[in-house]
Amino acid sequence: MSAKTQAITSVMLALLLSGCASSQPNSGEALEAARSRFQAVREDSNVLRSAPKDVIRAGESLARADRLSSYWGSADDVRHYAYLSQRYSDIAEQHSDLNLNQERAVKLELEVQRLQLALREAKLLSVQEHGSWLEEQMLSLATSESERGLVMTLGDVLFDAGQADLQASANRTVLKLVHFLQLNPRRVVRIEGYTDNRGDKQVNLELSRARAQTVADMLVDLGIDAKRIEVQGHGENFPVKENASSKGRAQNRRVEIVFSDEQGRLGAAR
Amino acid sequence: MTNRCLYSALVLIALTGCASDPAPTEQLRLSEQAMSQAKAVGASEQVAELTLAENKLVQAQAAMAQEAYKDARMFAEQAELDARLAEARVLTEKSQAQLSELHNRINRLRKQLGELQ
Repeated sequence: MSAKTQAITSVMLALLLSGCASSQPNSGEALEAARSRFQAVREDSNVLRSAPKDVIRAGESLARADRLSSYWGSADDVRHYAYLSQRYSDIAEQHSDLNLNQERAVKLELEVQRLQLALREAKLLSVQEHGSWLEEQMLSLATSESERGLVMTLGDVLFDAGQADLQASANRTVLKLVHFLQLNPRRVVRIEGYTDNRGDKQVNLELSRARAQTVADMLVDLGIDAKRIEVQGHGENFPVKENASSKGRAQNRRVEIVFSDEQGRLGAAR
Repeated sequence: MTNRCLYSALVLIALTGCASDPAPTEQLRLSEQAMSQAKAVGASEQVAELTLAENKLVQAQAAMAQEAYKDARMFAEQAELDARLAEARVLTEKSQAQLSELHNRINRLRKQLGELQ
């Protein structure tokens, strides 16, 4: 046995040992870690369902590491396959999480849609509530006359004397009227003009009609379909008060708005 | 004589154990593909596994150049799975973000509904 051969032999041995069993963590520990990791994902039904292939590969790599661990000098390989097995388990778990998240997202999307619908309905309801509040207001302005239905009176003060132009102070009332008609799309109106008995009968008739038309035009300008509006002039007919006093005459100069019922049926014209 | 036998046996083991692998070109291609896929879904250096994959891929390529094919294959295989894990993590994080966005929307909607009722 020469010293030279001995030296070479020991160098080779050292190489072998260092080459395949370097200072990394114990291969047995790596194997056990991979095994328990695999155990965990294999028992998770969600992981199995979402990523069966990765679970299988984790198992295969683990089995390989297992097999290699019984051979001398294969610690590196054991560590390698244990590492691969762990990675497959991790990937499988991530895929499972992703899958569960996506399933949850689908449910939440449905919930969002349901809530959006509910919100729209609630908003509509509040508009309707506001609408019925407005309706009450409108109706409180109007008086109910059994044979004519609901009647709202725009007084003389809203017009300049002898003129058909509506004053700016009438805007609020007209806007309320428009809003009311928008919220009650089936209702129609008849706008009737009246004067007192002073002056020429024919002129009064024309003035009463012109004033009623002014109100109707304004409603149309504000978006109410002209088909929903009838216009009539009654001149000095149908006074509400005696024309003897100036107060009575002032009350007789008026525009009345007759509302139909909710089905759009108007009372008979005078 | 026994020494010579032992010597040749050791050489044989060393050769078969560490240098019998073919060049893992296909595996390297797979690893590179997994890497670019991970980057395509938005994995960055902040994902630890992506950095791991990058380093191992470099090592695999270096081992390839030195014809250390077994090392090259091992590095490449690990790099592939590191990259795939990085990709999966990014996708899961994104779905998580999507979930919390949905939760926020639901809360906002519930709040609005509560205010109306």
